[in-house]
Amino acid sequence: MSDVYAKPLPPIDGLNAPFWAGARAGKLMLQRCLDCAQYRFPASRYCPSCLGERSEWQATSGQGMVVSYCGFHKAYWPSFAGDVPYDVVQVRLKEGVQLFSNLVDVPRERIKIGMKVRAHFDAVTDAVTLVRFKP
Amino acid sequence: MPNKSLAGKVAVAGVGTTRYGRLPEYDPYDLGIWALKEALADCGLKIADIDGVILNRIPDYQRFCELAGLNPSYTTITPGHGRFSGICIQTAVALIATGMAKTVALVYGNNGRSAGDQYGGATDIYGSGGPGLWFPYGMTSPGAFHALMAKRHMEQYGTTSDQLGQVAMAFRRHAALNPQAVMRDPFTLADYHASRFVCEPLHLLDYCLINDGGVAMILTNAKRAKNLAKPPVYIRGFGQTAKFTGSTFPPDDYWAAPMKKVARSAYGMAGAKPADMDALMIYDNFTPTVMFCLEGFGFCKTGESGPFVENGRLQLGGEFPTNTSGGHLSESYMQGWALNVEAVRQVRGECGARQVKDANLVQYMTAAPVITSMIYGKEAK
Repeated sequence: MSDVYAKPLPPIDGLNAPFWAGARAGKLMLQRCLDCAQYRFPASRYCPSCLGERSEWQATSGQGMVVSYCGFHKAYWPSFAGDVPYDVVQVRLKEGVQLFSNLVDVPRERIKIGMKVRAHFDAVTDAVTLVRFKP
Repeated sequence: MPNKSLAGKVAVAGVGTTRYGRLPEYDPYDLGIWALKEALADCGLKIADIDGVILNRIPDYQRFCELAGLNPSYTTITPGHGRFSGICIQTAVALIATGMAKTVALVYGNNGRSAGDQYGGATDIYGSGGPGLWFPYGMTSPGAFHALMAKRHMEQYGTTSDQLGQVAMAFRRHAALNPQAVMRDPFTLADYHASRFVCEPLHLLDYCLINDGGVAMILTNAKRAKNLAKPPVYIRGFGQTAKFTGSTFPPDDYWAAPMKKVARSAYGMAGAKPADMDALMIYDNFTPTVMFCLEGFGFCKTGESGPFVENGRLQLGGEFPTNTSGGHLSESYMQGWALNVEAVRQVRGECGARQVKDANLVQYMTAAPVITSMIYGKEAK
């Protein structure tokens, strides 16, 4: 499928590499500060909460809640033209970190603020697995 | 909180605006110089009188000053983000109050329409989190960021699309009275609903325009301003607070907490309260931010901005005439600058068919990761 996938792909190298490697292995990995224990994403050298430099990547629950959602009717990339209208969800994970993502297997009219969701690992190419969510 | 002794010590002496719309023959430097010439003519000053320069959205300060013949004692340049209009004006007040500069020109030039600016897609750099990370999920654009907030506000408080439409309709009715406005044809609520969704729940008519134009303001101390061509418009109060932590995502409180801080500062300095404001200029990048400001600055209670904007309350003749120029939605997307100029022109009584009667105090406010507010007054105190 990788040779036909035309949508934007995330940079999977660099500081966020463990997140993407984790997704390929079916785990939601987050960076955690070893000084103040706060989780964070996207990755950063210093912890935004305490400026600590020591951190490690930990597998997390993959559980979260829909904070809000919006419905794209405009395709900002030609590769999304066949998907409009499509919805983007703002998800807050149990660990406090937020992500923008999509729900899978949920009809548009069934999306609700406050619904509990869990990570779903969507291998869109051989190299990239996106983190989407399911009820 | 700014020092209360600063209230009324600095005044807007001159304002200048270009035509708005599609101006492909002008680059941002040209638009800035055009606006600056208008502002100088407005107050009767010359380029040589300017000893402080604050630029916004203009690509390069050296080239701008070379082209404009400026050799100021203080120069700075700021990124083309709308939140910077308030920041720049406050910086000018500080420069003048401390004596670092006597007469400051603030100059803005935006050729976004002709340059083909897109606020979504591959070139989207809105926010702080490296939005490329979210592109794979189709997440992009400031519009979507505000659509997420609007949707949540609707579910949390029962705010309706009709109410957002009321905001857009009010500003368009004002634009119809403003010869300078780009979009002047009034529309009905049915037209609003018929306009396509860009990012649901927001329709096209909830979005600001993208167009070309320039704006300039000249500020000086109150004493000097009294001897210039136009009556001074005093800066009576202001405030600023940022909410950068976690700002990759929409804030849970629609920026209410930082707005309350800014409100305390601006009203405290001006010795005024929301009900004293004769007109409001609210940064309308999208209609929901107007609602968030009305709540955060205390014009209505939390969650009650929907009903508050009904029955023409924001229209000329209503309790709080808002964005009397048409704002970003209908006049021109000048990123806060033209709204500050409209505040000045209202206080001066220069607004013709859209003039608010006895506009003695006019407030500018913006909801964003940097919240700012300015209160302009006809009297120094």
